[in-house]
Amino acid sequence: MKTRIIIFGFGISLFLFAGLLTGCQGDNVLDPKKPVVITIWHNYGGPMKYTMDELIDEFNETVGAEKGIILSITSISGSATLHEKLVMAANRDPGAPEFPDITTAYPKTAIILAQKDLLGDIGEQFTDEELSAYVPQFLAEGRLFDEELYIFPTAKSTEVLFVNKTVFDRFAYDTNIGYEDLQTFEGIAKTAAEYYEWTSRQTGGPANMGSMFFMADSLFNLTMIAYRQLGEDFLKDNRLNLSSPVFSRIWEFFYEPAVRGHLAVFDGYAADLMKTGDIICALGSTAGVLFYPSTVTSVSNITEQVEYAVLPCPVFEGGKKVALQRGCGMCVIKSTKEKEYAAGIFLKWFTEPEQNLRFISSTGYLPVTKEAFGEIMVKEMGNVSDPSIQKLLGTAIEMHQEYDFFLPPVFDEFDDLQKQYEKELKAVALESRKEYGELLEHMDADTAFEQVKEKRGLFLGTGD
Amino acid sequence: MTVNKLEIIKQELKKTSALGLSMRLKLFLFLMVLVVVMVLGVIVVFLLTGTFTAGLGMNEKLFSDNLNHAFRSISKQYGQLSAQAVEFAGDLSISMENTLREKGRTVTDLQDHPEILEDLLTGEYQRALFSLQRAKSSGVFIILDATVNPKLENAADSRAGLFIKNMEPNILSASSPTILLLRGFPGIGRKNHISMHAQWSMEFDTSSAPYYRIPMLEATRQKLSLSRLYYWNPAATLPGTSEEVMLCSVSLLDSKGNVFGICGFEVSAMLFKLAHMPDSSTYTRLFCMLAPVSGNGLDTSGAMFSGGYSARSIFLQEQPLTIEKHRRFFFRYTEEGGNTYLGFHLPVEMYPRDSAFYDQKWAVALMAPAEDIKNSLAGFNFRLAVLFAVLMGLGIVISVFLSRLYIKPIIEGLDKIKSEVLDDASKTKIPEIDELIEFLSARLHEKSSRESQEKDLSSTMLNDFIKNLPTLSPAERAVFNLYVRQHTAKEIAGILCLSINTIKTHTKRIYSKLNVSSRAELLLLINMLKEAGREFK
Repeated sequence: MKTRIIIFGFGISLFLFAGLLTGCQGDNVLDPKKPVVITIWHNYGGPMKYTMDELIDEFNETVGAEKGIILSITSISGSATLHEKLVMAANRDPGAPEFPDITTAYPKTAIILAQKDLLGDIGEQFTDEELSAYVPQFLAEGRLFDEELYIFPTAKSTEVLFVNKTVFDRFAYDTNIGYEDLQTFEGIAKTAAEYYEWTSRQTGGPANMGSMFFMADSLFNLTMIAYRQLGEDFLKDNRLNLSSPVFSRIWEFFYEPAVRGHLAVFDGYAADLMKTGDIICALGSTAGVLFYPSTVTSVSNITEQVEYAVLPCPVFEGGKKVALQRGCGMCVIKSTKEKEYAAGIFLKWFTEPEQNLRFISSTGYLPVTKEAFGEIMVKEMGNVSDPSIQKLLGTAIEMHQEYDFFLPPVFDEFDDLQKQYEKELKAVALESRKEYGELLEHMDADTAFEQVKEKRGLFLGTGD
Repeated sequence: MTVNKLEIIKQELKKTSALGLSMRLKLFLFLMVLVVVMVLGVIVVFLLTGTFTAGLGMNEKLFSDNLNHAFRSISKQYGQLSAQAVEFAGDLSISMENTLREKGRTVTDLQDHPEILEDLLTGEYQRALFSLQRAKSSGVFIILDATVNPKLENAADSRAGLFIKNMEPNILSASSPTILLLRGFPGIGRKNHISMHAQWSMEFDTSSAPYYRIPMLEATRQKLSLSRLYYWNPAATLPGTSEEVMLCSVSLLDSKGNVFGICGFEVSAMLFKLAHMPDSSTYTRLFCMLAPVSGNGLDTSGAMFSGGYSARSIFLQEQPLTIEKHRRFFFRYTEEGGNTYLGFHLPVEMYPRDSAFYDQKWAVALMAPAEDIKNSLAGFNFRLAVLFAVLMGLGIVISVFLSRLYIKPIIEGLDKIKSEVLDDASKTKIPEIDELIEFLSARLHEKSSRESQEKDLSSTMLNDFIKNLPTLSPAERAVFNLYVRQHTAKEIAGILCLSINTIKTHTKRIYSKLNVSSRAELLLLINMLKEAGREFK
């Protein structure tokens, strides 16, 4: 009987051993001999594409090869397009693309996906200690509902003032205007008026043919920040709070310069106007720094090499220093345990100070770990090759220390409210501008403007 | 020490050959022979059906399937784009010539009247956009042989035009801005509400632009129809951009045959990658490639790639890949000083036979790093080997077990037989042994009954003998007694002083009375009596 048991035992263990050999191999979840392919969508295109490509190639060749992960980029698009693609995929619309494993996304996209239970909790891939290395507000922004971390901070940004320094210096030289005038919105309005006159004199043309000075990429963001700076909330109960006296200050800042042509009213990005020299000052996201090229092209294809100054976000007079916290992070789409684990490994590596600094020094995004934001950035700043980005990082450090950061709320109607608000504002301004232009043929500028303003009345109420 | 052991083994073998192998061992060996034969049989079947090389064969099928698929999809995409580029060029040429004519100009006036460029190009924006979307291409371009500011320093290498990019050609209806202006007048972008690409500039830098010069040159030199003049430029990164693209350019000709520019479509690296992705479930680093053929190799610097793995980074020095046949199955592609790949390739016709560029050869290739294929084969064969080892091991175990199981009852049965307790209760449930037991049992009964029968018989005989003894006459009795004392007839004659014939007569009578037939029988019975301890007098 005993021998029987022994023989049986031997036979079974032989079977198991063979099974082990032929079947599973490798450690725990991943197997370097059978790498798992992770697809990624991102919005770091154009000049940032090169850096992203380099980083991803490096990951594949080092950590990826070691652990058995291959990262493959399957879409590089603007954030709006990515949002559309992801929503299509979430709704399973006909012709919708397949979900990637990782994607960059803004909170408004992530919320839609999270509500459909499509996102993985990235927090599960990190220990508490690891998470403590990240700037807490950035993590907080990624926790959409409760504890789950749905958006991992990879590329944060804020809004800053980009100034075509080359032209501004010429302008400042001829007038009393200086960079300190750009610290407040009221100062910008004043500067814009002066600039208009100055450019008008430069061309030697008629008095009312000057150039525009300034544009804000997002009037909505500007309004939100202005309210916070002046101690109020623009969005109350998910509706626009237009009855506040703050609104009239914003309106004052915007309406007159817009009508008079000191401030651009344009549907596209401010950077497009900077590229052609149509404006020389813009309020935009730090992430857009690479869209302000060092060459400005005029209508006659004359190019000029320019330098930029990057200044902190302006403040309304008497207001506190508050700026927007923006930027997208990366979300992990729920799939298999292996893929989610692999995605976590990539995110960890990608946001490690060394890689994070490489990324931001060629893109203009902000660091996401406390370490990177701190000493390291000050040290590494000298090594940044792009002068605009170098300046931008300096301004970012300054703002990080002196400003409060405001997280815009996220809710379903947010997008629509934003679009509606900007559309109406611009429409009113453009209409008034047209009227103003017509009146200019018969009267002087100030009178013309007063007439238009009276006719228009104070702009009240919108977007309900 | 070992010598002793050898001696011992020799002794054992001798003993064994003398005695023969035990049943159990023999059975085990027979079973092992069976197992070995079966396993060998399986191996032979595998060999005949080519399962060992099935690893390679599977590879070949996988590769050729993927290659054919990639070949078809690439041919289709490039063929369609070529046709659409030709059509676009034809329509554009006519349209532009007409627009110019309405302004009292011809295409030859473009260089001297740059002020008409912006309007001309603005007027063609819609057509370009429509063609772009119809072609599902990543970009459409028009380059005119003129510049907006001929007085500038680099004017000779700056050409006016229009380049519209579609960042997502596969999205059917996009309300988000996937269309960007990469080159062209800013007014066109603003008028049509499209944003400028981050790397926008107003005109094209044609200082080293084969995609611009080559088709224009050929169109001037040869009088061929547009469909024979389109040119596919190998993959390159346009100055000031970050992505590798292939451009299909067709010349713009007016009705008099003057060449005044080019137009065409773009296939970006991302579009190519997404459109022709091979199935990388077996080999993760499998990728396909559209590459110009140069000599005996493929030129990777001008190639487009598609694969899950970032193939771009594999080709470090962008050396050409030399092609050689590798054993029976694959082609081997070697990078000088670099890696080796195994795969297949097929020549692909990018141009019609009488095209001006027919001599430009291209191929579609599908390959994976050589080590991946070798590893997977080794893995496959290793698993087979392990399987066989397991089968053998299992065979041994089962043989041992079965032989034991089989022999045990037999041994028990034999023991039983040896014990001679052969009653009905001790059945072994082995028919043959039970039969033997029955047989032996019967024989034993027979023997003992025969013995007892014999005993009975001899008992009866003895009783008769004793009964008949007194019937002997005194003279006969005297002879009888002397016979008992082992005397011969002659001796008895002498002792009794009788004649031998008298003795013989007496003897005959004795025999008849005692019912025996010979002296031997008589003596036997006497002995038996003596042994039985029976007295007789």
